[in-house]
Amino acid sequence: MSDDVILVIVVATALAFDFTNGFHDTANVVATSISTRALSPRIAVGFASILNFAGAFISLEVAATVAKGIVDAGEITSTIVFAGLVGAIAWNLITWYFGLPSSSSHALIGGVVGSMVAAVGFSAVDGESLLAKVFVPALVAPLVAFSVAGIAILVAYRIVGRVRPGPVNRGFRLGQLVSGGLLALAHGTNDAQKTMGIITLALIAHGNIAADNFHVPTWVVVSSATAIALGTYSGGWRIIRTMGSRIIKMDTAQGFSAQGAGAAVIMASSHFGYPLSTTHVISGGVMGAGAARRLSAVRWGVAGNMILAWILTIPMAGAIGGVTYGITRIFGTGAVGPVVVSVAGLILIGLVFARRVQRGSPITAGAGT
Amino acid sequence: MVLASIVDWETLGKVAVASFLAAVGVTLAFSVAIVGATRMVEMRRDGRGVEAGAYAALMIIALAASGAAVVFGVVIMTTK
Repeated sequence: MSDDVILVIVVATALAFDFTNGFHDTANVVATSISTRALSPRIAVGFASILNFAGAFISLEVAATVAKGIVDAGEITSTIVFAGLVGAIAWNLITWYFGLPSSSSHALIGGVVGSMVAAVGFSAVDGESLLAKVFVPALVAPLVAFSVAGIAILVAYRIVGRVRPGPVNRGFRLGQLVSGGLLALAHGTNDAQKTMGIITLALIAHGNIAADNFHVPTWVVVSSATAIALGTYSGGWRIIRTMGSRIIKMDTAQGFSAQGAGAAVIMASSHFGYPLSTTHVISGGVMGAGAARRLSAVRWGVAGNMILAWILTIPMAGAIGGVTYGITRIFGTGAVGPVVVSVAGLILIGLVFARRVQRGSPITAGAGT
Repeated sequence: MVLASIVDWETLGKVAVASFLAAVGVTLAFSVAIVGATRMVEMRRDGRGVEAGAYAALMIIALAASGAAVVFGVVIMTTK
């Protein structure tokens, strides 16, 4: 009975994380299209949520590799997964509040690593694997996207430089429909699967699926795709504003180059099996498209805050995950701990939203432009 | 030294080269398509049919190249 309750809580928390993932990462997909007025905000998020939903059905390869090799799979329990998810959700909400695009994947990995350390100790975490699979890609992703987008925009300016700006802007706006669509599809393929992987791991731990027969049940695929699509449609306007206009003021050619570079890097990394964070890639692309025109065009203070958030993501999500695990253990090893933490979390979120409703929503679809 | 042994530099290099070729290639082709479309309209307006036809052909080839790259990207995702 206790195991069943924990499983239900883990599935619900994983879907809540998936929602915050979509909500938090909408900016990756739509910010440049909105900023250059290639799409209206509502149409952009609607378009992105449909393609995110579709992308979740394309492939299930990533679902099998969540945190693989980073933590000792034999030591994972449902409560550790739950505490890790709470760490990831909390960090996603904190960075959203400050309008900072940070990696949801890193938040998830950080949360699970933190709760694992709290439960088992540092011996359950493979430091070398963490360095090779998480920290080095985090450094490389923005640099590659920065360089690729920078060179792409220089090529574009060179070719269209003598053409009247009107047709050029209209042309690149049309191009952004395709480049933005590709990004949304790639995001759905990569990110919805993390939740599928987490839920499937919980089902294996519970005994619903045999450990030697890893497969993602259809209801898990559909519910994960729906959660990330609904999150995307809700639109994290604070981050959209940062990504779309606070880093650089973008023209349509820069928007196209940033999105094209982002889509190319994500697809190349998927193809060669080198996992990179979509957030780091798109942020790097946006900065590269701005800096290639003029270094001072990039607001380096905003970029610095973003990079600080990237550095803090794993330790902070890990700390929250570890503390959450500690709190659940106060109530023993059964379902009481996760139930208490879930209820407390829901009350906290309810209070914050009630306060926000009283004050009025500060960031809206209109403000995202 | 530790980094050199645990990071898969070869795959990383492949990602960098492939994404560079794809992104710069598509941007180049799409920019050429925009120039082709704009010049085609201008030439047609000036009554220069041959030049307009040449720019239309350039636009179509460039758009086809961009479209092929996009289709290739979707195929990569779906066959992963």
